Amino acid sequence: MKKKRCIAMLLAGGQGSRLGILTEDMAKPAIPYGGKYRIIDFPLSNCTNSGIDVVGVMTQYQPLELNSYIGSGSPWDLDLSYGGVYVLPPYVKGKQGEWYSGTANAIYQNVAFIRQFNPDHVLILAGDHIYKMDYNAMLNYHIEKEADATIAVREVPWADTSRFGIMNTTPDNVIYEFEEKPKVAKNNKASMGVYIFRWDKLLHYLEDDAKHPDSSNDFGKNIIPNMMADNQRMMAYDFDGYWKDVGTVYSLWEANMDLLQMPMPIDLYDKNWRIYGRNPGMTPHYIAPGATVTNCLVTEGCEVFGKVSHSVLFSGVTVLEGAVVEDSIVMPNAVIERGAVVRRAIIAENAVIGAGAIVGETGGEICVVGHAATVAKGDTIAPGQQFRNERVDAGRE
Amino acid sequence: MAMKDVMGIIYTGEKDSFLRELTTLRAVAAVPVAGRYRVIDFLVSSFVNSDIPNVGVIMQKNYHSLMDHLGSGKEWDLHGKTDGLFILPPFLTADNNGQYPGSLDALHANLGYIRRSRQEYVLLCNSMIVFNADFRDMVKSYEKSGADVCMMYSKNPELQRSEYGAYLDIDDSGMIVDVEIDPTKPRYENTALEVTLLRKDLLINLIDRGVSHGYHDLMRHVFQRMIRDAGLRVAGYEYKKPCYRIDSIQSYFKFNMDVIRPEVRQSLFSDDRPVYTKLRDEMPARYLEHANVSDSIVADGCIVDAKVTRSVLFRGVRIGKGARIKNCIIMQDSIVEESVELENCILDKQAVIKAGGKLIGPPSYPIVISKNMTI
Repeated sequence: MKKKRCIAMLLAGGQGSRLGILTEDMAKPAIPYGGKYRIIDFPLSNCTNSGIDVVGVMTQYQPLELNSYIGSGSPWDLDLSYGGVYVLPPYVKGKQGEWYSGTANAIYQNVAFIRQFNPDHVLILAGDHIYKMDYNAMLNYHIEKEADATIAVREVPWADTSRFGIMNTTPDNVIYEFEEKPKVAKNNKASMGVYIFRWDKLLHYLEDDAKHPDSSNDFGKNIIPNMMADNQRMMAYDFDGYWKDVGTVYSLWEANMDLLQMPMPIDLYDKNWRIYGRNPGMTPHYIAPGATVTNCLVTEGCEVFGKVSHSVLFSGVTVLEGAVVEDSIVMPNAVIERGAVVRRAIIAENAVIGAGAIVGETGGEICVVGHAATVAKGDTIAPGQQFRNERVDAGRE
Repeated sequence: MAMKDVMGIIYTGEKDSFLRELTTLRAVAAVPVAGRYRVIDFLVSSFVNSDIPNVGVIMQKNYHSLMDHLGSGKEWDLHGKTDGLFILPPFLTADNNGQYPGSLDALHANLGYIRRSRQEYVLLCNSMIVFNADFRDMVKSYEKSGADVCMMYSKNPELQRSEYGAYLDIDDSGMIVDVEIDPTKPRYENTALEVTLLRKDLLINLIDRGVSHGYHDLMRHVFQRMIRDAGLRVAGYEYKKPCYRIDSIQSYFKFNMDVIRPEVRQSLFSDDRPVYTKLRDEMPARYLEHANVSDSIVADGCIVDAKVTRSVLFRGVRIGKGARIKNCIIMQDSIVEESVELENCILDKQAVIKAGGKLIGPPSYPIVISKNMTI
């Protein structure tokens, strides 16, 4: 039987509820980022660039956007005859179909998928971080250290340790203790949610976990502690590159603003580690006479007539005459009409900011205008507000 | 007749010496235009948007960059199993030395492909035309005319050239009664766009008759003679939308400058008739502190920290601090260093203008900097 040395399983089912109205109709990994990417482009491109060519993407929450975005996987060169990207939603099995009840359960329900590739190791990824990482280097480390499981860790500020799963390690990086969100931490190495397991070990612990009806079926809460308790060989793998969780409105805004720094903290120009994405294929963008654009990222398909500074414009955005956009993120195909002022805001896809409307303010909390929302002419959206129009639920009387 | 019964053939071997440095290393079809496209993208996208499922591209010289660009045809959704995109490079056989003296020889060498395709009609094109045409309308007009052949033309006076091109005399019933080729001064207002629609069996017959008489050029030796001798009924089809022919440095320059204008962009790139091209995963363009860009189109991957006026910046172009760029076309991955001054220039791919350089061309005769040059 043909086999793969290592395959990846990407957990993309989370809602990301702290992103508020931005994740109302799409899963967090599908959120646009950096002008032309979506968050999931990062783990997928990392896989391609690391030579991992089987990626199972487990979806559950609002999968439509994500499914159509992934498609055949061709933007990431993952449309292969043997391997490629597979979207894996939960499905009905005889009489006992069920949703993914936890991260470990999502993998457990896809054991048959993993078995098709007969891998030695399985890489578990999350779909909600911005980072460039060579998973192959981590895999080599995992194999070289003869680990049963290897967990990628990064040092976080000591003040933040109570928000993370902390790995306590010996000087040679063997994990001897795992503490979930400790009040007083002994170490500042936090788990990044990137794991490599020996497949035979993982299968054993998944099957074992599935037998306990009161388990949360979660890697952090169940599988890893159980492996620790059995004295399995657990290694920490240090990662010190750029890594950003985009779990909240503020962190999503901040991660985009990071790209406007000089030099960029994450190099997206690197030709040897390109971040791929599905490209809408629009014309180059147009900057009209009289427009001002400074300290910005502007994507193809934009038309700028107004004044834009320190902002990220996604593809197909229009900023009309007299409009001002500052310290903001404007997602695909949104329109900022004449004289509207947008400051410290995230404007979601297809939203329209009416003429003369005022959204957010300098120094204020980040405000959000939801997907396809229309801010009426002359209206004001206060700092920190999340605005969306009343919706009519399709297909419901 | 349904559009799936029409195949497109693009002949890329036409005379291109007027494009000077831009075509020393590539065919006209592969010349970069409008910030992220190649000339041929417009024709291939027009075929695709008109539901023509089978497109053959006859290659002649310097076809590496064109093959690299078109690839499997995936970006145009032309990677089907039966139909799709077919790249037809020259090949050596006992009676073919690999170089086609004319379009007739090129078609003759590819008779196998033409016969094997399941379509009944053929739309033949040269590769210099840039438009976003709906061929469905031309097919309807052809059917209605009852003619043997249908040729597309334009009344746009800007397409007329001295000693270049074919010009058509058309009678009141819309039939072509005369063709003049490469006249010093065109006598007819109808410029042939070199887009010709006819039945496949007729085309095969004409190729065979032409080649067996030692002829080389389809327009000059076959159509012109047969129209004059009334041996074929050839109808004209007027194309009224914007259309450009990339046949000189000046027309190349003008086309790119026109694309900056919103109304031209809207007519060439509408949402329902997109122009497809090979993708390159680049970051969005980045504007720095001193960026002062106006009336320009800018592709992804650029980094701009200077004054840019009425220019076209292709993907991955870098413009250093203090530079002044006006009326320029700067192709992919070119680097303009600090304090450079450029006006009326065309920089081919990967050109580098070192700090402090100054190049000012006259508007009527832009300066062309060849690919990979450092100045």
